[in-house]
Formats: sequence, structure tokens, C-alpha cells
Amino acid sequence: MSRLLKLDGAAFGYGGRPLLQGVNLEVHAGGMLGIIGPNGSGKTTLIRGILGLIPTLSGTVTRPERDLGYVPQRESLDAIFPLSVEEVVQMGAYGRLSGLRLLSRAERRLAHSQLTRVGLAERAREPFSRLSGGQRQRVLIARALMSTPRLLVLDEPTSGVDHDTELRLLELLRTLCAEDGMGVLLVSHHLALLRQNVSEVLLVDSGKVERGASHAMIERMEHCQHG
Amino acid sequence: MDEISWLERIELFRWALLAALCAGLVCPWIGSFLLVRRTSFQGIALPQISLAGVALGFCLLPWCSRVLGWPSGNPEAMLTDPHMAMNYSLVWGGLFSLAGLGLLLFFGRRGEGETARIAAAFALANAAIYIFARYAPFGRNEIEELLHGEIQFLGLHEFEMVAVTCACVAVLLGLFHKDLLLVSYDSDSARILKKSVLGFEALLLVLVALLVSVGTMTLGPTLLFGLLVLPPLSARRFARSMRQFQLLSAAGGLFSVVAGVVLSFELDLPLGAAIVAAGGLLLLPGFVLRTPRA
Repeated sequence: MSRLLKLDGAAFGYGGRPLLQGVNLEVHAGGMLGIIGPNGSGKTTLIRGILGLIPTLSGTVTRPERDLGYVPQRESLDAIFPLSVEEVVQMGAYGRLSGLRLLSRAERRLAHSQLTRVGLAERAREPFSRLSGGQRQRVLIARALMSTPRLLVLDEPTSGVDHDTELRLLELLRTLCAEDGMGVLLVSHHLALLRQNVSEVLLVDSGKVERGASHAMIERMEHCQHG
Repeated sequence: MDEISWLERIELFRWALLAALCAGLVCPWIGSFLLVRRTSFQGIALPQISLAGVALGFCLLPWCSRVLGWPSGNPEAMLTDPHMAMNYSLVWGGLFSLAGLGLLLFFGRRGEGETARIAAAFALANAAIYIFARYAPFGRNEIEELLHGEIQFLGLHEFEMVAVTCACVAVLLGLFHKDLLLVSYDSDSARILKKSVLGFEALLLVLVALLVSVGTMTLGPTLLFGLLVLPPLSARRFARSMRQFQLLSAAGGLFSVVAGVVLSFELDLPLGAAIVAAGGLLLLPGFVLRTPRA
């Protein structure tokens, strides 16, 4: 399987000060990597570094430049925008469109087929803000799929959704890995759920990233979650 | 006015009416971006800041006239030439609008609260208008007319300025609508999709500053703020998509102008203020028919 993402001794931070150092990880085509850690541990910093939204302070990051899909935390998107579901999905194609180009019929068809894939085609004309949390998450996944990514990065896609919705979202991600050979990297708070569904779990804590879902890691996370 | 027919009034005030229609179409469009970016209050502060610039321009007119050598060393004569007066004011209004936007953004990045920043900018700009106007040897009437929303006597040159500005803003908004929307909604995804976030943010700021500075000098801050804010605020309650939102906003702006003209002619009100009052009517259906949205 081809390697889609490699971090080799990477350090990320803000204002030149590293918050995470010596990060090593790899994501392969068809693989699914979970990232877990307590609040404020640097999970979002790691994601932003991987996506190239903040500079790499040291080490190297090898990632696909164009074939990268990103699903942000849905709370980070302001509900004041009166966007329809299909408008949100179509945004995923904007990277291919210069200012003068309109959305082609093919792009609209692609948006519709991505919505069908996440099971929300019949709600295309509805306001995005009126969907449930899980449905909005699926719409954002459909938007990320518009750029036909090889690597999909999701920031806490299961936060604030019920258990059934969590399972359906993870099933959708497993399907993308298995059928499309896509690499998936996702951040979550739910360790048990991640361990059942991803090939590897990384723990982000105290400025470091540890590999492997060890017993000690679970204990530490559970302590964080309950403490 | 009783003996003047409607047709005669329209003929008499045609440039003002046409300018208001142009603004009624384009101001709500750009106002829709200000609303969803939660920067609508910029719409109240910027026209005041721009007008403060115009007032300072009148204050410094004798000095500018002497230093730059126009027009024939007689600054008062310049005010009788609408082209010269407009272009001179445009420079001051534009400079202050851009500087005002820059300062608002600068303090915003330093973490100052949006409301406090805008309130302070509005208060200071308002005070500056009256202070500069007090010391301005000429142009006090023009400033007062702009403050009161008296736009009836706009001439061809002012209309041309508004029309060209609105056309430029509309074309650029249309061309870069997708990019401006993406950058406003989800700047991280815009960066990942290789969009120049800084470039499109700057484009939007320049369009706002351009529209505000030209609009302030021709239509006045009251009308400009009303058209930037009221139609989008009303449209958002009913829109189910961004496209609907912007179409309803523009339609609301046109309705405000037409209804405002009727109010102004029937009740002998200042045209600008009447248009804003008519824009206020747009909010009623939202309050009556729907609950407020997030």
C-alpha cells in the first residue's frame, strides 16, 4: 500500500514556539489512523500542522498537496450563514474553479453523488443549519470528498453526536478506506470507539505523540475523561 | 410641493432616484457578506469615519488649495464645480475609510471586542465630523445635508460616481462570489484548497471601503448604513440558501428605495431617511411570521 502521509521528527507550534515535538507517523492508502488526547493536548495543532495550516518548525512532513480532504469541527462553522446543504457540498469543488468559472453540470452531478453516498441526497435543498449534528458531519464529509482526496483528515467528527450516529460515521469512513483506498486520519475523544474501528491509535499528550493503543494509554485517557 | 405632479418630481430628482436604486441593489449585496461575517457594525462606523474624512477635507481645503495651486487660489470656487468637489471629497473619504478599516482590523487582531471597537470608532468619528465641520470655512451645508440624508438634489456627476462604483463592486462580487463565500465561511478549508485567503479578505475590504466612501459623499451615512444592514437582516430570516439570501437582500434594497420614494414624496420627508424607514418595514414580516434564528 502506498504511503500518503509521513511525519518524520516534525515539530509544530505557534510564534516559533513548538507545542508538539518529534512527531513520527505514517498513513497509508486504505489505512485509518486515530488521534486521541485530553483537551488542550495539541490534537488540533497536530492536525493543523499536517494540513499545512501552520508551519513545520523542524523535521519533515510529506503529504499530498492536492489530494487532501479536510473535515473541520462543525462547531467551527458559523450557523449564521444561510447555506443550503448542496451549497456546502459544492464548496468542495471551489478549489478547481478560478474566479470566472461557474460550477459545471459535472460538478453539480458530483456534489449530488457525494450527497447520495453519505445518504443525504434528498435533503440537498434544505438549510444546512437545520440538520442534526450527525447529518451536518456527513455533509462536511461529502464536501471533503468533492476534491477526490486520497487522504481525508477529520477533526473530532464524532463529538456531540449520539452513539448510533458515531457508529454510522465510522462505518462510512471504513467504507471509504476499503472501497476507495483512501487514507483516513481522525481525531476523537472516544478511545474505545477508535480502538474498535481504526488500525492504529496515537496519543497526543504533554507535547508528545505516542504510538500504539497501550494499556497505559487507555488508563491515562480514561483518567483524563473521567477526571 | 403640492402643485408638483409625481412625474415632475421624478424628473426633478431623477439622478437621486437612479443613484438610490443602484445603491439599493448593490449595498444589500455587500451587506449580506458583512452580516454573515458578523461585521455589520462596520457598516455603521465606516460611513461616519468616511464623513469625518470629508469634513477634514473641507477643513484643509484652503491649505490644499494653496499648496496644490487650485482652483485659481480660490477654494470656495471649487465647491461650485461639482466634479472638483466630488473628486476632492472622494480622496478624503476613501483615505479615511481605508484607514478606518485598517484600524478596526488591527485592534480586532489584538483581541479587542468587536462591539467595543465599533462603538468607539463610531463615537470618535461622529465627534470628529462636528469638530472638523466647526472649523471648516466651507462645506458645512454639504456635511449637514449628508448627515440628514438629503439626497434629492444629486446631480449627474454624483449619479455617475454611484453607478460606476456600484457596477464595479457588483462585477467583482459576482466574479469572486465563490471565493469570497468560501474564505468567509471556512478559511482553513479555503487555504487547503489553495485559495489566497489574505487576497480575498483584502478584496472584500477594498470593495466595502470603495462603496462606503463614494456612498457617504453622495448618499450620506444614514442611507448607506440602512441599505447595508436592513435588507440582509430581513432576508436572512427567510432565505434557505446563500443564493436566496443575496437575491432577497437585493430585492429588499430595491423595495426600500421605491417605498422610500413614495413616503418621501407623500409626506415631504428627506429621501434618504425615508428609504431607511421603508427598509425598517422589511423587518416586520420576520418578527411577525418567524422566530429569530441563530
